[in-house]
Amino acid sequence: MTFRQRHLALPVAVAIVAGCLAPLAVLVAFSFYEVEDFDLIPAFSFRAWGELATSGTDWFLIGKAVLSGLTTTVFTTILGYPVALALTRLAASAKGLAIIVLLTPLYTGEIVRIYAWRIVLGGEGLVNTVLQGIGLIDEPLKFLLFSPFTIGLVLTYNNLPFMVLAIWVSAEMVDRRLIEAARDLGARPIDAFSRVVFPLTTPGLAAGSLTVFALSAGELLTPSLLGGTSGATAMALVDNLFGTAFDWPLASALALALLATLFLVASAMAGLLLRLKGARAVIGRT
Amino acid sequence: MGRIGLSVLIVAAGFLYLPLVVLTVFSFNDSALMAFPLTGFTLDWYRELGQNDNFLKGFVTSFLIAQPVGVLAMLLGLMASLALTAPGFRWRGLFAILLLVPFLVPKSVLSIAQAMIMSRIGFERGATALILAQSLVALPFATALISAVMVRFDGRLIEAARDLGASPWQAFLRVLLPQLRPALSGAYSVGVILSLADLTIAMFLAGRTQPLSLMVASEFRRELRPDLNAMQVVVLALTAVLVSLSEVYRRRRLRKLASEA
Repeated sequence: MTFRQRHLALPVAVAIVAGCLAPLAVLVAFSFYEVEDFDLIPAFSFRAWGELATSGTDWFLIGKAVLSGLTTTVFTTILGYPVALALTRLAASAKGLAIIVLLTPLYTGEIVRIYAWRIVLGGEGLVNTVLQGIGLIDEPLKFLLFSPFTIGLVLTYNNLPFMVLAIWVSAEMVDRRLIEAARDLGARPIDAFSRVVFPLTTPGLAAGSLTVFALSAGELLTPSLLGGTSGATAMALVDNLFGTAFDWPLASALALALLATLFLVASAMAGLLLRLKGARAVIGRT
Repeated sequence: MGRIGLSVLIVAAGFLYLPLVVLTVFSFNDSALMAFPLTGFTLDWYRELGQNDNFLKGFVTSFLIAQPVGVLAMLLGLMASLALTAPGFRWRGLFAILLLVPFLVPKSVLSIAQAMIMSRIGFERGATALILAQSLVALPFATALISAVMVRFDGRLIEAARDLGASPWQAFLRVLLPQLRPALSGAYSVGVILSLADLTIAMFLAGRTQPLSLMVASEFRRELRPDLNAMQVVVLALTAVLVSLSEVYRRRRLRKLASEA
């Protein structure tokens, strides 16, 4: 067998299988193991899965992860569309700069962003000071920090660039003459958007939603460092079972249940978006 | 470009940069409390930072871990892109999905699973584990960057080189590689940047290695300190320098290629 360019896939595939798929497969095995005296013993026990199935907390936390992923997806969509559409109107020379401006916040460390938001939203932070300064409130708003609001805001912030990028790429491919034709035929801008632009950008929206959902639903740091008492997550519980309680079977089962649920919701979401008429038109064309 | 479009972009940029600007402002503020109103300008926090040996050590550790991550992400990304664009590759769809796995599986789940398998097979957690895991997470980004250039590459150039007697290896080195250099430097920087930005993977796989992000996280749980602000700004500035350097390099290469053509 002579060497061909396509054979370069092999080492990469081996790396991903060994580094990502094998650990996930091991999770499956561990979820059936037993623990005795802080030692993991190979077995075929349904103890962990049984415990998981009857635990209200675990399923509540998994549901919370799904909800957090969906909320973030909706928020980034609502904010992402106007930004992406405005970006398509930029001069070609300005687009390169726009990409850098858009992506640089993504490059800042996870902890840097969390740290910075704590300063912005704190009792004597920027938002409260400004609001008090203009006399809109008398007391600092407490709900800004360590609350579900904080988690939603910061997750939206973290993921907005991904959504903008996905919709932007899709919107660049929409033939501008279609929009002009719609306007000439008397469509209001809002109708031109809902009946021409939105349907034709659903593939980008689907890609963006999949990305944002996957990244935000499994996030561990933002809720635990900025969520206060509302910051409990399924992943934090997995971490706890793994590190402190040494219940690896239950940790594995919970992580797998979370992963499977996220996968199902994500595929359902992407599937629904791609079945819209516009997406079929775009994908059918190329 | 209408007025509405412009204001949308300005508001969006404001939102994206607001936390970073506030962070920078407080790193120069002459008060130990991170509260408005500002009290005055000082460089004390930077001076304090320079004298803190722990932070310097952490910074060197992070930097040394980030370099191999950049190189590995670039090499693996190059191989993946070459395979993805290879003629007659039957498993292309499957391979593309495989490449998305490290991106779509939450980093927290992945790192915990990796930590479990490592402790089971006796692979010690530490710098090596961290480098390998971070390279895998950077791989989809690196591949996307390199493939984006590769799909636009005119395959006939390779054929021409081969017809003129170049071996496949020579054709790759002298025709394709020069075209790819900007994308490769981009892939390398993305690896470095993602490694510097990471905390989640480090939490599970760093072992006794102490990169900067872990140090900051443990300080963060206790209190906010202005010298931490200063440090975040330094990390931010270095990242910005890296991004701009690779962008300048990319543009210069493109201009050179354009003038040669």
